[in-house]
Amino acid sequence: MIKFQAVNKFYGDYCALADINENVAKGEVVVVCGPSGSGKSTLIRTVNRLEEIQSGEVLFNGRNVHARIKSAELNRLRSQIGFVFQSFNLFPHLSALDNVILSPWRVNAVSRAEARDRAMALLDRVGLANRALSYPAQLSGGQQQRVAIARALAMEPPAMLFDEPTSALDPEMVGEVLAVMRSLAKDGMTMMCVTHEMGFARDVADRVWFMDAGRILETGTPVEFFGAPQHPRAQRFLSDLRSH
Amino acid sequence: MLSNAIGIIQDNWLLLLIGQYPNGPLGGVAATLLLSVLAILLAFPFSVLVALARLSHLWALRIPATALVYGVRGIPLLMIIFWVYFMFPLLFGISVPGFATMLCTLVLYEGAFLSEVVRAGITALPAGQMDAARALGHSYGSAMRFVILPQALVNMLPSILSQFVSTIQDTTLGYVINVPELTFAANQINNRLLTKPFEVFLILALTYYAICFSLTQLASWLERSIATRRAGPAMPKLVLAQ
Repeated sequence: MIKFQAVNKFYGDYCALADINENVAKGEVVVVCGPSGSGKSTLIRTVNRLEEIQSGEVLFNGRNVHARIKSAELNRLRSQIGFVFQSFNLFPHLSALDNVILSPWRVNAVSRAEARDRAMALLDRVGLANRALSYPAQLSGGQQQRVAIARALAMEPPAMLFDEPTSALDPEMVGEVLAVMRSLAKDGMTMMCVTHEMGFARDVADRVWFMDAGRILETGTPVEFFGAPQHPRAQRFLSDLRSH
Repeated sequence: MLSNAIGIIQDNWLLLLIGQYPNGPLGGVAATLLLSVLAILLAFPFSVLVALARLSHLWALRIPATALVYGVRGIPLLMIIFWVYFMFPLLFGISVPGFATMLCTLVLYEGAFLSEVVRAGITALPAGQMDAARALGHSYGSAMRFVILPQALVNMLPSILSQFVSTIQDTTLGYVINVPELTFAANQINNRLLTKPFEVFLILALTYYAICFSLTQLASWLERSIATRRAGPAMPKLVLAQ
């Protein structure tokens, strides 16, 4: 469903992504891990073209997101790719409910009443129906991130991307967000997650990609990756994680 | 001196308030406020358009808008007033009343300054807001309309009010092209009395001060209440209620 073909990205001479060739199949859950600055977030942001690339292709459902396409076409593609940010990025001037209503209503031209009903159902799904009228500033980080997930789901995307969704959260709020992500995975959502939550990766991922210095150095099932990592850099990364 | 001033007010309060209306054009405080309010109301949408053009990726929009802002900021208001006043009849062959001339000038001038406020308000928002809107499939225009501008404009309200105060002060320059506003009325009184310029212009200064001071107070109150709102209010109360 998501296909990277010979993707390269540079900032001047610095190589942010180097020769990425990988696939995320329909229904698959891929966890991207690796040290800070390894290009994980950059990689996931190329899928909906929040980052440009210098060469290669990123295909979503067979369409090259980075081709010379009309902006309306790019917007349509983006609306089919759910994206959850590390910093939530809820719209602070709108209530939780209106955050979820806005895009189906204004982008997909769903009637406001219908968008509202679906938004309430989604907020219920992430456990926040009782906070629908709260503004983002009145919600905890974990609650904000769950609203952000509901907001992304409101566009009924066939795939969801998560860019370090729990990294900005207090430890006690990580679980509630991961629980929502687990339930999405269980329902068969295609997911690509950049995360440091190795427990989540172990339990939920179908495959783990390990990145360093803009390259995918190793891919494998969680059992393979956590049990017997092949690449020396991956071995060092995992032993560093375990040592504290 | 104080009794002189009070006497002047008692004799001329209606002239200071509304000019020679209804026997002549509306003037005094009423004209000053009307001119300022109309100017800021028209300058505001104009400034949003200029700010959006300044931020545009299209050079055909960006360059003229930037030139306008730099041009207007680099020229004294009085020069622009003269230009509009003398050039308009020459270019279009119609004579324009002073009030309309002053209004056009103020919209251009205050709009250029206000556009910098609007631009700052837009660029001050976290980049994640635009990212989130684009990721949800909003076009640039839709993201601006529903996500960026509603936030930026509320944040800018105090600055817009400050610009309004400047506008009120700038209307005094309408005097030079005979716009019958507050300064014009005061000068009429001074010309009639001849011997009491200090009192007359003290009254004038105090009137401007009263109007502008109350508006700056309103601006700082707005600023405080927006700051409180941003900090995320009402949450503890809600929790307790539940």
